[in-house]
Amino acid sequence: MQQYIVRRAILNIFVLWIVATLVFFAVHVLPGNFASQQFASANLGSVSPEAIARAEAVLGLDRPVFEQYGTFLWDLVRFDLGESFRSKRSVWNELGRAVPYSIELGVLIVLVGFTIAIPVGIISAVKQDQLPDYVLRGGAIFALAAPVFWTASIAVILVLQWDLFKIDVDGQPHLWENPKSALQWYLIPMFAGGIAGTATTMRLLRSQMLEVLRADYVVTARAKGLPERTIVMRHVLRNAWLPVLTVMGLTVATIIGSQIVLEQMFNVPGVGRLLFQAITLRDTPLLEGLVLVVAFVVVFTNLFVDLLYGLFDPRVRLA
Amino acid sequence: MTERNHWTQLSRRHLTRRALLRGSARAGVGAAGLALVGCGGDDDDVQQQAVTQVQQQDQQQQQAIQEQQQQAAQQQQAQQQQAAQQQATQQQQEQRAQQQAQQIEAQEQTQQDQAEQQAAVSRYDKAPVDGGTIVDITAVIFDSADASQSVSSEVLRVLGRIQSKLLRFSNPDSGELAADLASGWEVPDGQTVVLQLREGVSWHAEGPGADHPASTAGRTLTAEDLAWNIERQKSGLLQDGTEGAFGRKGYWSNVASIDIDAGAMTLNLTAPNAAFLQGLANEFNLMGQPELLIDIEPDAVNVSADKVIGTGPYILTEWLPGESISAVRNPDYHSPGPRAHNWVWNQSFEDPTAYRIAFEQKQVDSMLTGGAELLQSIQAENPDSTFLTYKGSAFPIAAYVNPIFEPWNDPRMVKAIDIAIDRRALIQQLAQGLGKASGPVPWVQEAWAIPQEELAEFAAYSLDREAALQEANALWSAAGGAEAGQIDWVNSDAYEATRPGSTEAVAEMFNQAFGTDQFQGVTQSYGEIFPAWFEKTFTTFFSWIPNLTVPDARADLAAAFKTDAAGNYWGISEPDEIDAKLDAATQEFDFEKANALVREVQDFIIENGQFGRHIIYNAVEPTVAWNYLHPALKSETEGYTFESESLQALDSWIDPDDPSIEGRAEPEPRPL
Repeated sequence: MQQYIVRRAILNIFVLWIVATLVFFAVHVLPGNFASQQFASANLGSVSPEAIARAEAVLGLDRPVFEQYGTFLWDLVRFDLGESFRSKRSVWNELGRAVPYSIELGVLIVLVGFTIAIPVGIISAVKQDQLPDYVLRGGAIFALAAPVFWTASIAVILVLQWDLFKIDVDGQPHLWENPKSALQWYLIPMFAGGIAGTATTMRLLRSQMLEVLRADYVVTARAKGLPERTIVMRHVLRNAWLPVLTVMGLTVATIIGSQIVLEQMFNVPGVGRLLFQAITLRDTPLLEGLVLVVAFVVVFTNLFVDLLYGLFDPRVRLA
Repeated sequence: MTERNHWTQLSRRHLTRRALLRGSARAGVGAAGLALVGCGGDDDDVQQQAVTQVQQQDQQQQQAIQEQQQQAAQQQQAQQQQAAQQQATQQQQEQRAQQQAQQIEAQEQTQQDQAEQQAAVSRYDKAPVDGGTIVDITAVIFDSADASQSVSSEVLRVLGRIQSKLLRFSNPDSGELAADLASGWEVPDGQTVVLQLREGVSWHAEGPGADHPASTAGRTLTAEDLAWNIERQKSGLLQDGTEGAFGRKGYWSNVASIDIDAGAMTLNLTAPNAAFLQGLANEFNLMGQPELLIDIEPDAVNVSADKVIGTGPYILTEWLPGESISAVRNPDYHSPGPRAHNWVWNQSFEDPTAYRIAFEQKQVDSMLTGGAELLQSIQAENPDSTFLTYKGSAFPIAAYVNPIFEPWNDPRMVKAIDIAIDRRALIQQLAQGLGKASGPVPWVQEAWAIPQEELAEFAAYSLDREAALQEANALWSAAGGAEAGQIDWVNSDAYEATRPGSTEAVAEMFNQAFGTDQFQGVTQSYGEIFPAWFEKTFTTFFSWIPNLTVPDARADLAAAFKTDAAGNYWGISEPDEIDAKLDAATQEFDFEKANALVREVQDFIIENGQFGRHIIYNAVEPTVAWNYLHPALKSETEGYTFESESLQALDSWIDPDDPSIEGRAEPEPRPL
């Protein structure tokens, strides 16, 4: 088991190095840099070649690309992600401010998603080809088809139209600081994101459950006279759970993706919004740092999920 | 700027109670008339019958018949009188009803007029009230805490409220000047500007900037402080001898020397310059405290509140880019005002949804990005509590070709391109119809620009597109445009990002105009575009160009078209038709004469296809705001095109009694 973890961890570090290298060169291949973007978004009236050159020199963008890459890797080895061009704060500092928001929203999205997906998947499987199944599957297809920004936009319009509640896009309260205000702020993004993530999990859980429901041991359990509830919850769900768990690992990446959109729409100062700003402003250190951290989260979450296999299924022997 | 066209008038023609009453009265009168016409035939029959009876009776019975006839006549007369009385009564009733309807109509009209007048008073002419906190949004990027070294309008939005200038604009669009640090000014000989300095002005005594170890809190402002600001920018050098990023170096280089004399400062110019005075009010020409500016020079790009001290109406208490900025009223401000007690900038909203939520829930007081359609729809949904204003954009949209290289070294090609640009179509396509065609002097510099109707007389601006395109095609063919091969038309990636499809749209416009497929749209960043301009190696371009900062057009024209100008990227050299006339216009203090000279230059430029510097249009930008906010405006529906931060700082106010303020939670600024 330990060897497996070490092997996977080394592999993950290799993956992270590839990601870091790709991101570094992708960012540098793109035309323009932070200096030019800064002038493009500012007053163009007084810009001069000297001003651009000076800004590039201050930011270290005038050095050869491979020299910059070497510095980047050397800093990376020392866990130094550099400073954001925009805020002049360290990337770790920026992450420290953004991550709590993203975790809050991410956890809420996951909670909403799985709270809806699991019962809906079970009901849909148990009531296969009956009215509830048709309705729930229809809903799942709709949720799958509706882009997260569309769902969120419609919800915003409804809230504003009927003045339902205040969405505190400016106050940006944390859940532990002001739970009511924070929940009002997160309500639309968490449901929009959660519903979008529900469909895949629900459909997968349904198909897995249908497969297990037809298994011999389920027939045997029924023949033994076990109550249907016990059969479904103890024997069917637990066996149908493993592929769903795999998807849960991948869902983290999807959630981070949808969070970029939702954080932008609702002004959540999380990692997603920071990433978007870093891309649009060509804030290279911030962009590289954020992508690395996101990649870290994704690869190690998948490792964690793989480890969970053993917990859910004793047949799996990872070592 | 907002036009009441047929469609908006039609949409306002809804059925009112007044219209209903008016219609009822007209229907009543019509019905009564019809009734009277119907009664008329019976009277004629009675008379005819009486005559027949007279003819048939003998002579002896004639008397009796006559008596009967008289009786009948009397009866008839009585009936007629009765009918007439009924008619009169009916008419009186109808008249009364009509009068009542008219009275109600008049009363309603009066009430409506009064309400409109009151509304007008409450919105635009209402007496300002002191107090409150105005809430703006902050940008993500700020380039310097030193205004002299900044090129960012965002910096002005902060520092323009904290620091002062020698003069300021009382109307930034017309260029009318008002006193600021200079309480008076005169230009005795065209080459000398004498500024009487205001007495009793002191640097902020409180706040993070005042607490900075390098600053001198509460010190009296001196003429030497002002002269230091000017000399520093003029030299362009930092304390360590290196070149600084002084964007107004060229402007201050017009000053040959400065004389300081009891309460006055004299700027001796290198040459007579009629446009110089207005430049003193340029929003970037803010005056900072020398000792603090020297200290922060090495790290001025990292902005923070403790690096700023000023003499302006507000004191900066917090400056966190992209997060929050706050300023509180300066209790020792040298002049009356400002109205609002605090000014708070919340974080920026890059996404229109977040911005809309923030605005509609009154977390910010106004909204100015997200697209005209969105802003107009928000106002339409809240017609009684919000208002829309429109302002011109100081960023002209232009297309460039470089006449130094083929195929643009043929003047016919340059002119063909100028005429082929469908300015009005582009305004529709890229600015949702909100914009006006601009000539060499854009229309926002309204005193100097060629009026729209006169501009339309040139082929490039003609409303007759068919004829214009024929001319363009004739030039294109004569110059062998078809043999030019593929033409890559460069658009800035920043413009493409805000106007998706604009790159292809411009290429397609030329392809359609010349019936070809030679034009291909490509995007580049300004990081690539600028150096190509400066090195004069660019080929084509379409996008925003450097913005206009003052309403006087002379300096901008000279910077682009004079032979030796740094901004003349096209190698234009017209000593007689451009250089001499612009020099004369710059030195001419008689506006009419100067204007005539500028007009001659513009005509010449257009006749030459604008030499490859094709100005296309300036957009019109809407802003929607809650009624409780009273920004400084040019008119009831027009905002200022040019930067008006110092004016906004003094004249903007919040109306605590406006009904629209309900539900607004006023933020607390960071205190002193």
